[in-house]
Parts: sequence; structure tokens; C-alpha cells
Amino acid sequence: MNEEEGGAPAGVTRRTAIGGTVAVGSALLLLDAERVEATVQSSPPPRAGATLAIRPIVNGRAAPVTIDPRTSLLDLLRERLGLTGAKKGCDHGQCGACTVHVDGRRVASCLTLAAKTDGREVTTIEGLAEGDALHPMQQAFIDHDALQCGYCTPGQIMAAVACVREGNATDRPTIREYMSGNICRCGAYAGIVAAIEDVAKKGRRV
Amino acid sequence: MRSFGYTRPDSAQAAVAAFAAAGEGARYIAGGTTLYDLMKLDIERPAHLIDVTAIRGLDAIETGGDRLRFGALAPMSEVATNRTVLRDYPVLAESLAKAASQQLRNMATVGGNLFQRTRCLYFRNGAGGTSAGTTYPCNKREPGSGCAAIGGLDRGQAVLGQSASCTAVSPGDWPIALVALDAYVEILGAAGTRSLPVAELYRLPGNTPHLEFTLAPDEIVTAIVVPKTRAGRRSAYHKIRDRESYAFALASAAVALDMDNDTVRQARIALGGVATRPWRATAAEAALAGQRLTPDTAAAAGRAALTGAVPGRHNGFKIDLAQRTVADALLIAAKRTTA
Amino acid sequence: MTSAPFPDRPRVDAREKVLGQAQYAADVAVPGLLYAMLVPATIAKGSVRSVPVDAAMRVAGVVRVLTASDFPPPPAGGAGGPPPPPTITDQIAYRGQPVALVVAETLEAAIEGAEAIRPTYAAMAFVATIEGDGVEPQPVEPSTGGDADAAMARAVTRHEAEYVSPAQHHNPIEMLSTTAVWEGGVLTVYEGTQGSNMAKGALMRTLRLSADQVVVKSPQIGGGFGQKGGAQRQTAIVARAAMLLGRPVKLVVPRGQIFHNATFRPKNRHRIEIGADAEGRMIAVRYDADQQQSRQGQFPPAYHESPPMMYGIADYHGTAANLRIDTQAPGYMRAPTPHPSSFAFDSAVDEMAVKLGIDPLAFRLKHRATRDPIDDKPFSTHFLHECLTEGARRFGWDKRPLAAGATVRPDGTQVGWGVGCGAYPANVHPTIATLRIGADGTTRFAAAGHEMGQGIRSTIEQVLVRELAIDPAGLEIAIGDTSVAPQHVTAGSWGTASAVIAAERAAASAKAAMADLLAGRTPPAGNLHRQLATVRRPSIQVEVTTTGPGQGAKEVERLRQGGMAVSGPVYPQFTSFSYIAHFVEVHVEPRTRRIRVPRVVSVADCGRVISPRTAASQVRGGVVWAISACLREATEVDPRYGGWLNNDLADYVVAVNADIGEIDVAFVDQPDNMFNALGAKGLGEVAMTGCAAAVANAVYHATGKRLREMPFRIENLL
Repeated sequence: MNEEEGGAPAGVTRRTAIGGTVAVGSALLLLDAERVEATVQSSPPPRAGATLAIRPIVNGRAAPVTIDPRTSLLDLLRERLGLTGAKKGCDHGQCGACTVHVDGRRVASCLTLAAKTDGREVTTIEGLAEGDALHPMQQAFIDHDALQCGYCTPGQIMAAVACVREGNATDRPTIREYMSGNICRCGAYAGIVAAIEDVAKKGRRV
Repeated sequence: MRSFGYTRPDSAQAAVAAFAAAGEGARYIAGGTTLYDLMKLDIERPAHLIDVTAIRGLDAIETGGDRLRFGALAPMSEVATNRTVLRDYPVLAESLAKAASQQLRNMATVGGNLFQRTRCLYFRNGAGGTSAGTTYPCNKREPGSGCAAIGGLDRGQAVLGQSASCTAVSPGDWPIALVALDAYVEILGAAGTRSLPVAELYRLPGNTPHLEFTLAPDEIVTAIVVPKTRAGRRSAYHKIRDRESYAFALASAAVALDMDNDTVRQARIALGGVATRPWRATAAEAALAGQRLTPDTAAAAGRAALTGAVPGRHNGFKIDLAQRTVADALLIAAKRTTA
Repeated sequence: MTSAPFPDRPRVDAREKVLGQAQYAADVAVPGLLYAMLVPATIAKGSVRSVPVDAAMRVAGVVRVLTASDFPPPPAGGAGGPPPPPTITDQIAYRGQPVALVVAETLEAAIEGAEAIRPTYAAMAFVATIEGDGVEPQPVEPSTGGDADAAMARAVTRHEAEYVSPAQHHNPIEMLSTTAVWEGGVLTVYEGTQGSNMAKGALMRTLRLSADQVVVKSPQIGGGFGQKGGAQRQTAIVARAAMLLGRPVKLVVPRGQIFHNATFRPKNRHRIEIGADAEGRMIAVRYDADQQQSRQGQFPPAYHESPPMMYGIADYHGTAANLRIDTQAPGYMRAPTPHPSSFAFDSAVDEMAVKLGIDPLAFRLKHRATRDPIDDKPFSTHFLHECLTEGARRFGWDKRPLAAGATVRPDGTQVGWGVGCGAYPANVHPTIATLRIGADGTTRFAAAGHEMGQGIRSTIEQVLVRELAIDPAGLEIAIGDTSVAPQHVTAGSWGTASAVIAAERAAASAKAAMADLLAGRTPPAGNLHRQLATVRRPSIQVEVTTTGPGQGAKEVERLRQGGMAVSGPVYPQFTSFSYIAHFVEVHVEPRTRRIRVPRVVSVADCGRVISPRTAASQVRGGVVWAISACLREATEVDPRYGGWLNNDLADYVVAVNADIGEIDVAFVDQPDNMFNALGAKGLGEVAMTGCAAAVANAVYHATGKRLREMPFRIENLL
């Protein structure tokens, strides 16, 4: 390929069909069904003959969507439903950054086939706060600076809420053990333990 | 990952029928924490997935009578926190609680966990594609291609049960505890039902390391049954890893003791992390029978448990470590009361 | 000029982070997005013969496969800075190097397409480890102060040993990713990078674009630790795909490929000889270091950066060498050379104390550094002794028995206490910042800097909120974006010092502008926003340019050009470092010999602490990194194959929550006003230094066994 120094590369074709500007800061707080429909419609259709129609309940709202059966719950949330709070850190169930709740239990969404969530309740970090009121665990993470870069934080918080609900926030060693599925590479573990201990001690309903 | 068909039958019989209908390349999937993981690595390439998790009634935990019966679809986290299991069979509860993370234990089933595949680095990292592009010979993945682990970085490899074709460790924790307690599985297939001791689910690698399980492809495990034993209360699963949690075993020991005061009537000992299949240490059990349990006899049992172990280049320490792990497990279990 | 202590305030972006609203590069929503996946090379060295693409193109949804022929030839070597990484070439220098990029309508299709490509190669012989045949040693300039040979000849006690630190990978939890949008002749790239300027420069040179054609945005980084400091291997490849296809393209690089294509901490070795005089003072050091290096890599073996700055040893001779083999380029990973050199050197110092029969804390306190012996300059400030004495007090060091192996619990657990120290250069770059205060309640500060969790935004907020009567809720801190201000790589603990002096200067300038506006009138009531509203001015805006000691127009111009403009730690009048002392308790199990670290006390001297809460988190994070580096992490190479064998987060073992105990953090908090007006120095790097040595020293104290090669694993104490 020949190119002129400093000029536009040869072979660049711009498809006018791909208009639209980049939407920054459009993370959805609460998902409404219409928005989900719109998101689904704007996503490319998976290959014919290998699709599945599923209807998970995401953060309390139905999210009917047609998927490629290979799709993970994590990729469904992030790439199709615009819910980017859950993060990809390994894609193999080894880091915990993708932790969400399915039917009230914490799971690794990267190792969960999206197909499995048909008809099930999925709760993500976006569904934790009630309006402007932070969930007590979110506030405790702020109070104890239980985060640095923040990338693992949604997964940590979803795991932490589950840790308390399971009754595994009884003391520091138990919290540490039951939070060991969530790697924090910045090393905010001490703050994370303190935040969970704080919430558990105050006996707040989480 | 290759495309696949997906069906989710709601009964075990329908699952077996769906398997037959799907033809070549059909696989059952439960929690998916092994199969989907290996599909992402392009190691597993099923053409059709039959998701068994919608089958009703297969997740019951029954603790009455003379046995424990765990429906195959019971999540690991549920069985790990069952009150009877916690109180009377700590070896079972601990083998589950020390496996993976709570997220994965919520996903993985006690039936599916029996079929977890090895973590051998040369097995997992060698398939190219979206893995790291390092193609290592592996007889388990590509029969006949050779074994890169032999003569390679074998710190994590087996010291018991390996062959000239394969040294990959059987990775589970739960199967180790089950083997120690003489558990068996109930199986459903096109030919009907049968049961099989858990210990007999696993093959030695021999010269066919790609054949890991004795289950026929169309069969599914429907339940795991553990005969009750008073040794359960004096039991422990001791697991030594490269970090405190969320790691596979370098060495582990499942032990259960039937004792008369401080004398061992019968010991049950199985090893994990060091062998190519869940490893029942019968020589160690025999060595302990009728003996007082002391640090010395526990250490002797540990040595007996590793009888026949053969080190590779970098994993000789695992023999020593496993011996000590067995000894510690025995001493931990012995301290547990039967009251 | 005020240099008073700063108050405790929450991390400025904590709320958006706990809500899951903080946007990282791969979170940005882009309409019409295509997904990409790289195809990695499966040989360790050689060339690509062919890349058959038919099978991939048959995968439904795949729109294009890019191979070497789709890329312009590599740019000629330009002035300054490292060359951009190659794009896709047919010459394979390491296993895992990208040989093709598959672009598809969906992520699933892109992955399947990438798996369908089986290139053919002409493989060549290679050297994958520094222990192998065919290693090219390449010495660099030695670091010398005084006459170490003569001093060593006078020494009456000598200690000599070799220490080893393994290859390690950063593994921030945010994976490397690039999202590229080519629209209207402008390329916009969203990428988690600590150097948006570096990414921009690499894109310009590689893809022949002008400065006004490239914007790189990196507003939040999900952990960097140095991995995201330089131009990334995938950036221009993805951008090229977006340009060729006329559609936005996103690539999230799989973890296994990151191990192979990102930089890493090279394996390094340290042969250290220390000599002490009859009074038990260290008087001479001879220290030879070498490190794993790629054939073309530039990461310098700067192992003598910190050790000479610790203990006032005037006669020091340090050599260093690269050992060139076939691997991808190593690079800067948290406390790049000071972590392994402090492990080696402070272990050696401890061994000398043991040899002399002196308490290791008392031994260190016998040595106070006042001058930089290599560059013969005074230190600006040097509060290592204060770190040591305060740390010892908090830890309860006075109860420590001198003998090793003396403390054994009833269950047989051995308990040991160790101390270790570290130092890290105080660096700085120029900053061009704009500050706009609006009558509408908003304030916008735009400057160089990248937020990766170290808390640079929180430090900027602290200064602006203290200096100016503004509404913190309306404050936007625009950094990590080449379109808002000239950007500079944020690394080497120079980010905060560089940013806060600009914030402080901008605040002063804004106050002056406000005074000009009021022209002698009494200021109206309320904060600056209200005052502006009262005088009917929509906003005021100021621009300031700040520089470090000895810096001038040359460095400012380098910043404008997107280059490296860092000075330090040696300045015209002085040398400046941050310091830390760690006190560590370890427990070693009686039979299975697991090492546990239930308790650490760390006291740091980073000058004035700007953001106490985020600073304490930085130190705790550094301690976690050191424990993980010392007891867990190593990336393994099978010399027969090259590449990295344990290339995922299950097999590359990093510390999890259960590995970490209590960490007590304190600061000297004395400003270094020679370094800058606020007296702030760097912290994130120094936090990690010296702590691995403290662990090693504690393990020795517990067991009587000296471990000199990291990581310390179970087999080392069986």
C-alpha cells in the first residue's frame, strides 16, 4: 500500500451510514424497558440461525433481547444493554471484576452464559443505589477509601453486599476469605474489609 | 469460540433425549465454570450444549437416613453451608468452601464439579486462538502431540499416577473428599440408570490422557451419595496453595477418622493436588489402623500416603509438602470432637 | 505561600466509582461499533510466511482481516523518545506478537474469526531466558561515588551475596483496550493510558497523521502501574482498522495476550558486597546488577538510582548490564528498579547487621545520609530516620529479641520481625494549566495528568478548594485528554508534584485576576461564583505554566510537543528523594511452612501530604504490591518455547484479600520547600520500595533462613 507522508491513508472509505457522535457519559443509572429495546435494536443482529431470544429481568426491568448463544452475561450487559458498571478483568472467572447478582446470588458474569439468565433476576452495580441515595455499602466504600482506580470496585461492592447477606461478614478473617474472589490490584483490601465490617457491624439491612 | 446450538430441557429424561437428538458434538453443561471457560480458550468445541440447570428436582440436599444425597445440580455453595454437612462432615464442607470463590461456588454444581478438567499450564495455554498463542504439545488436548510438561516447568504437575504421556493433576477438591468417604454417583443415560463409586469415575492417564472420565458421553450424574459414617465428624480437608485463598492445591488431604479415644480404628485418607486422579491413600490408612494418633504416627502416615511418588524436575517438594499436609490434616481432624 | 497540612477529604471521584458510573476506555458507548481480535504468533522468533484469511472471512459477521500488508512501513527514527511500537509486521520477535487483526460485527464473531486463522511461519532459533546460551550482555555506564575499592580494602567486616528478582507482569485489572473512531479526518482514540501524549505521538508517526488529526482520551485508568505508560502495541493497529473501514473499532486485549504484548518487570540479579569498618559503619559498596532485556528494548537497568541515597555510604561502585534475549520489551513496573534493588540492598544491609550482631534498626540509624555520593549534591530533605523512629514506635520494635528463631508460638509457628527501607527519586515535569471559574457555579481545571487511582484528581481538588472560594461540587478536573491541555506521561511518582504546583499557581493567578476585576472595590459577598455573578462577569480564565527546579523553555517546549520533559532527582542545587521505612511481622507455619504477614507498619516521607486519605491508600497499596511481589508473583518462561507459561490470573498468582493483614500507615508530612512551593514529593512508587526486604528480613528473624530470591514460596522453607 502506498501512502503519502502526512496525507490521509489510501483505501480509507467512510461509510456515511455510520453517523452519530460518540456518546460519553451515557452510563445508564436505571434501565427502562424502552431504553433496553432501543439499545437492542441499535446493536447488530447476530448471525441468522444461531440466535436465542431471552428475557432476563435486569435491575428490576424486563430486558428482552436476542443474543448469540455464545454471549456471556458480562458481554450482554456491557455491549448490548449499555450497563458498563460490571467490568472485564480476565474473562475467565479469575478476578471478580464482573461480579453481579443472579437471583440474589453473586456470580461471575463473564463465565455465565447469557442464555442462562432467561427469566432470571440480574442485579448490577447500576441497580444498587436507590435514586440519589447510595447503598450503605457504596457509602462505606467511600468512607473507608476502599478503592483506588475504581475498576474492580463495582465487582467488589456486589461481592461485599452478598458477603453481608450470606452471613459471611462475621469477622475480619471471614470477610477476607469470602472477598478473596475479587482481586484488587491497587491493593485496597484493608479498606474493603473495613467497609464491609462497618456495614455489618451497624446491622444495616443490605 | 465456535457457534453452537443451545437447548435447556426441563427433565433429566428430556436432557438425555436431547443429547441423542443433537448428534455429534453434543455436550451437557451445568454451571459452566469449566466448560464455558475452556470453550473461551478454544479447547472445548461443542456443537450443541444441553443446559441441564433447568431440570427440576435435581438440586435437593437430603440428609435423612443412612446416607447423604446431593442432587447433582445443588450449587457448591449450598452444600458447603448445609448444617448437617457442616456439623457432621466438615471434610465435605471444607472441600467445597476452599474451592474457587463464592461467585464460582454459586454457579458451579456439585455434580458438574466432578468433571472439572486439569489446570496443567501446557494444557490450558496451548490452544492458540484467543489464548496467548503459545502452542504446546499436549496429549490430553491433541492426542499424540506429546507432553510439554514432561521435561518442562513441572512445578505444579503430578507426582502420583503420571505416565509417559501425561503428568496433569486432577484439580478438584470436592472429589477428593468424596473419594475419602466412599461416595458414589447415580447416573442416567440412554441405557438407563446405574451407580458408580466416585473413585471409579476417573481414569489414570496411561497412554490415553484425553480420556479422563469413565462416564459415557450421553450419561449425566443425577446425584452424589455419601454413606453416613461416624468418621465424618472427625474429618478435615486441608489444602495448601500458593496463596491463602482462591487457588488450586499444591497439595491437599481429605481425612476422616474413626477413633477409640486416641487410637485410630479406621482412617480414610485421600490426596489432591499431587496426583492425576483423586488419590486414595490406602497404604497410609493401613499404617494408621490400630495406632495411637501422635505427630509421629501422623507423619508416618503422611510418608506412607506418598508411597510410589515420583518427582519431576521442579515438583519434588510436593512429595514432602503432601506428606506434611496429610499429617496436619490428621492432627486437625483428630482434635474435632464427635459430640 | 502556604504549606500547612491538608485536611482529610474523601477521594474526589469515589462517588462515581462506587456507582459504577466512572467511565473507563472500554466503557465508552460508540454507535456502529465493530469489534476486533488479534491473532498472536505461535513461534518465538522468525517470520510469517502466510496468513490465510479465507476461513476467518467465512465466519458470519467478520468484515475484514488486517495483516502486515495493510500497514504503512515503520516510521523512520525521529528525534527523542522511544520509537512507536511496530504495528503488524512479518518479522516475529517474540511469541504472542500480533500477526493479524480480525474485525467483525460482533465480539463473538471477531473471536471465532481470530481462532480460524492459522498462519504459517519460518521459525528461527531463539534465546528465551537469561540463563540460556546466546545471551548478549551489554553493560551500561557505572554509578560511582568515591573509591569503593580503596574503602573496601579498609573494611574489617564484609558481606557478599547475590539476590534475584523474577520477571513479573503488572496485571492492572483493567485490560488493555483501544476504541478508535475515525470521523471527519480526525482520529479519536479512547484508551486506558498513562501517556495519552505517547499514544498520540505513536499514532501520528505510525499512521502519518498530523497533530490536529489525533485526539487521545484517557479520563480514568483502571490501574496502570507502568504498564500503560508507553505507546501500546495494539493502539495503531486498531486505529488503522477504523480508518480503513470507516467505522469505529474496539479491541479489548485478552489477558493472555496482554502478558505477551505489554511490557513487564524483567528478571534481575544483584551481586552486592558491603564493607564495614571497626565501628560497625558501612563504608563501602560494590554492587553489580544485570537484567533481562529484549533485543531492542530501552528500559534502563537503573538499579543504582536509590541504594546510594539511603545510608550515607560515600564510597560506592555500581555496575549494571542488559542481558539481551528474544522477548518483548520489558518496561517500567511499579517502583521499577528501586523495588528489586531495595529488596537486594536492604537485605544485604540486614545481613551485615546480623553479622555485626547489631539490632537492624539501630544499625540503620547509625547511618544518616546527607549528600548524594554519586552526584555530589546535598539532599533537599531526607527524613528516613524520622520514618524509622516513628515506625519503630508504632510497631513496638523495642520488644524484638535480637536472635533469629527466638519467638515460637505454642503451636510451633515461628514469628519474625523485620525492617526495610526504600527511596524513590523526586521527579517533576512542566505543566500548562488553564483554570476557568464561572458565575454559574462551575470551575474547570485542565492540565497534564492521568488518574489511575493514585488520586491525582483528589490532590488537585485539595489545592484548589483550599486556595479558592469555589464550590467543590461544580469542579471539573480535565486531565488525561490531549484535547484539553498538553499531556505528559504520568508515572515515576511525578504526577502529583507536577499537577499540584500548577493548581496552586493557577489559583494564585485566578485570585489576582479577580482582584484586577474588582479593581480595588470590596469583594461582594459569597464565593467566587457569586462574586462573578454580582459583577456580571460570566467567568474568569487564567493559564499558567509551571516548571520544576532548573527547568525552562526547553522542557516546556518538549511538553508542548508531547515528549518526555521530566527532571530529577538531581537538580542544579540539590538531589531529592522520597523515603519510607516498613516494619513487618511474619508468621511461618510449623510444618507446611506457609509465610503469612499479619501486620505491617509503614511510615513515609513524601514531603507535604496533599491528600491524606488517598495517600494512605497509596502506601497500603504499595505494601500489598510488595507482599505480592515478594511471596507470590513470577512469570515463567519455558526456555524451549519462549512466551509466558502462566499467562492468566489463576496461574500468575497475585495477592488476594486473605493474603493481607493489618497495615498501619503514617507520614512524616514535612514539606520539601526546596523541591516546590507546596513541598510535595511523589509517593506511589516509594510506597513499595524496601517492603520486600522487610519481609525477607522478618522471615530470617523468624526462621534463621535467609531467602535471597523472590518470590519466597513454600518449597523455600520446607
